[in-house]
Amino acid sequence: MHPAPSTYAGMADVAAVLVLLTEFAMLRAPTLRAQVRLYAFQSLVVTVLAVFIAATQHIGELYVLALLSFVLKVLIVPGLVLRLLRNAEVDLAGSSVLGVASMILIAIGVSAFGFFAVGSLHVHSTALPPTALAIAAAVVLVAFVLIILRSDVVSQAIGFFSLENGVSVASLVVAAGLPLVVEVAFLFDLLVAVVVFGVIMRVHHGRTKTLSTTELDRLKG
Amino acid sequence: MGASVLSPQGVQVLQDLTILLGAPLVSGVISHVEGRLQGRRGPRVLQPYYDLAKLFGKETLVTEESSWVFLAGPVVAFGCYLIVPLLIPVLTTYGLPLGYMGDILGGGFVLALAGFSVALAGTDSGAPYAQLGGSRAMTFGALIEPTILFVVFAVALITSTDLPYALAATVRSTSSEMVRPGHVLAAIAFFLVVLVDTGRIPVETHSGTLEFGMIDEARTLEHSGAPLALLKWGSAMKQLILYTILINVFVAPWGLAASGSPGAVALAIPALLGKAMLLGLVFAVIDNSFSKLRLFKITEFIAAAFLLAVLAVLVFYAGGG
Repeated sequence: MHPAPSTYAGMADVAAVLVLLTEFAMLRAPTLRAQVRLYAFQSLVVTVLAVFIAATQHIGELYVLALLSFVLKVLIVPGLVLRLLRNAEVDLAGSSVLGVASMILIAIGVSAFGFFAVGSLHVHSTALPPTALAIAAAVVLVAFVLIILRSDVVSQAIGFFSLENGVSVASLVVAAGLPLVVEVAFLFDLLVAVVVFGVIMRVHHGRTKTLSTTELDRLKG
Repeated sequence: MGASVLSPQGVQVLQDLTILLGAPLVSGVISHVEGRLQGRRGPRVLQPYYDLAKLFGKETLVTEESSWVFLAGPVVAFGCYLIVPLLIPVLTTYGLPLGYMGDILGGGFVLALAGFSVALAGTDSGAPYAQLGGSRAMTFGALIEPTILFVVFAVALITSTDLPYALAATVRSTSSEMVRPGHVLAAIAFFLVVLVDTGRIPVETHSGTLEFGMIDEARTLEHSGAPLALLKWGSAMKQLILYTILINVFVAPWGLAASGSPGAVALAIPALLGKAMLLGLVFAVIDNSFSKLRLFKITEFIAAAFLLAVLAVLVFYAGGG
């Protein structure tokens, strides 16, 4: 019989589970817009988690990080991608190689692997329960599944961004008191990625008149 | 039966009677509220009782192609629905004499036997729509089964048993048991299972005459008279049984009688029915806020339920359930 975790650990785990569930929701989101909104929601949950840890563990720097990640990941990045989508004016139906149920089953298998892999590491942390680390690993792996199985540029960009969310949760677990500079460097990395993916989306759409990568089947000499 | 304490056997009979006689009332309240939500006046709250009385008074027609299975199916199913309330905490917090003869899986098997016998009776009628309904009910029943299993695994991880009484006691013990992620995930997964098993809107339109979308409803198209009354009554009982499991085991196991005193037991009956009606309101709102999924999209819904149940178990293994 497992004793129930403390209320603090329980709530942190619930937040981490929410991050993972939104990752799964992105995987099956029918439209690209829905995917972007889910990403904004996921970032919001990560921000709330950071604030929660900052308040309970008394780490002042985390407030700054939470504010930065709220502005960047909840407002700016989704806003930019949505604007790109509006300008692209293509049909917004998402494209997936497999059926939804099969995708979910694959992702369940992959995240189970993540859970057991991290579980065998026996990482201990003062800030968050180790469960959150296992969930973060699952988020990263499911983000990979998202990038691989959905064949459109936006999904791949969103997959990459949400992968960063998983890494954020992991860094909150392992090193909540990480120097602020390092965390800000992560966020700056994300900003660069947004610019790069923005360029990719524009160029891809300009050349093929679609956001789907299934068009990319011809070699260019 | 003593003056101050009801005998356990007496309470057990009361459990059955509560489900038996309360189920049509709960169904009636739900369809009344549904009518109100849709801007209609809705049927009377007691309408299901009148319907049952009317059907019991009508003659029973049997097609020439069908055998005794056609008539036995509804009776077997009705018997199964009378057995399950003995296994689950309907009125009491403590196990009654027959309460430990089966665990959650045992109850699930009995419910599955009921579904199977109704599907068999439908298939035996020889009518295409009833056969289609039986085949679909079995297909989706098999697809939802893994989710139920994983919910049971999660319960077993929480309590080290798979007795519904044990989980209800655990949930009542502290508030942190209510919010532990494993329990929340398992409870939501079971909520989705109840949606599927009671034939509610994302999966099936429970009231309607369009055969193409029918699953559970189609099985009974060929029955008439008393067997149809048993089937309708049985499906109302199944609904109340599933609500009872969701409420008294997972979500809100409060208001149950802790002893056999007549007052506590008498209070537990309206408490259960009241909670079931509140839960019914939730289902009615869901019914009116979503559209029915296409038949081949139901697997996606079931996959979502499965995901929640598997995550419940995985979170336990990672140590944070």
